[in-house]
Amino acid sequence: MSCTVRIASPLRSYTAGAATLSLGGETLAEVLSALEQRCPGIRFRMIDEHDRIRPHMRLFVNNDEARELAATVRDGDTVHVICALSGG
Amino acid sequence: MSLSSSERARYQRHLALAEIGVPGQEKLKAARVLVVGAGGLGSPAALYLAAAGCGTLGLLDCDRVELSNLQRQVLFDSGVIAKPKAEAGRERLASLNPEIRVVAHALELKAANVRAVLENYDLVIDGTDRLSTRYLINDACVLLGLPLVSAAIHRFEGQVMTYVPGRGPCYRCLFPQAADGMVANCAEAGVLGVLPGVLGTLQATEAIKLITGTGEPLVGRLLTYDALEMRFDEFRVARRRDCAVCGDNPTITEPRDPAPPPRAAAAPGVRRLSAAELAALLREGSGATTLVDVREDYEFDAGHLEGSVHIPLGELPERIGEIAPGSAPVFICRSGGRSLAACEFALRAGIASPANLDGGLQAWASEVDPELTVA
Repeated sequence: MSCTVRIASPLRSYTAGAATLSLGGETLAEVLSALEQRCPGIRFRMIDEHDRIRPHMRLFVNNDEARELAATVRDGDTVHVICALSGG
Repeated sequence: MSLSSSERARYQRHLALAEIGVPGQEKLKAARVLVVGAGGLGSPAALYLAAAGCGTLGLLDCDRVELSNLQRQVLFDSGVIAKPKAEAGRERLASLNPEIRVVAHALELKAANVRAVLENYDLVIDGTDRLSTRYLINDACVLLGLPLVSAAIHRFEGQVMTYVPGRGPCYRCLFPQAADGMVANCAEAGVLGVLPGVLGTLQATEAIKLITGTGEPLVGRLLTYDALEMRFDEFRVARRRDCAVCGDNPTITEPRDPAPPPRAAAAPGVRRLSAAELAALLREGSGATTLVDVREDYEFDAGHLEGSVHIPLGELPERIGEIAPGSAPVFICRSGGRSLAACEFALRAGIASPANLDGGLQAWASEVDPELTVA
């Protein structure tokens, strides 16, 4: 099982500038664990210590919002990590 | 509101569009739109709305034009540096289209004035550069029932969405809570000059569509743009029943100013230091305090506290070993947000009692050392 994870630009310092990574996992939680293994420290920027998605971060599986880490991720899906931006 | 002969000539290309035509152009003439923030987004949005014949156009900004603005804020030119943005912008827009009325609001939006300002308009464009103002505008628009077209930018990436009360989610449904400093702003992170040109013109497009009743607005759809990859993505966003302002049981029933810096947001075990407290600590500690500056290279190079170790936040995970676990380091950034994230990471990495400089070097410069250059 493999999906593409697309990273918001404020977090790309964790991915050596890469916009996307190819990762395994059948749930959002598993995908984020794989992401954390590849890019240490990045998960904590999205998920708090109570395993809740931080309120200035949004996660989407394909085009639909995932509000729980138990959300299913299928082979070929794209997980989008979106961050509130302040710039104007 | 009928069109004069000169207006018919000016807007001929709009009149030729069946989707707009004379009725649509008359709606534009009757419309009152407020552009909040005369910056990278507000510049193209205001220019196109003025050109399009938006009858009353408000321009709100309390800053003055700076040289570094001109790389992207196309409302201004070199001749208006140091002038108030609202007034300089008003002159530019009035010159572009003398048929419309342009109102300059050289003020900062606050809970105390937001209703009085917004009540004079039918639609709001948010192009501000502060998250706290974004929430203030969103809440006021929900409470007043005003449509809001909001966009934001960062480096090479932008987001735009349209919020129409009663028809879809609001900004708090998308991002329930965020504080300035959690995300680097344009001054800290940089921004491609043309990027707000793309997003600001999308905002103007949405405004024109809403006013004329044409097309499908971005209600419940977040549109993102990545300039490096030249790709747009669209995401469905639903209204949250537990939204604090537009939910079933709202807790925000009046616009309110942002709460003080999110002290409560820090993990237990993170110490919080004001600039004055850190200054006292440095005086007493005679060099024993470990200072870790987590800003980017160019920010550090512009000015930093003497003796600081420089580890950009993105490099912290791989360089955490450079900080002794028992050193009780003080993490520092520009405004205190990135350093707070660094503190929480350090805590998880086994570093005892990390401290955050609340308010960052901006607070240091205003309270302790005005000579410090803060990029």
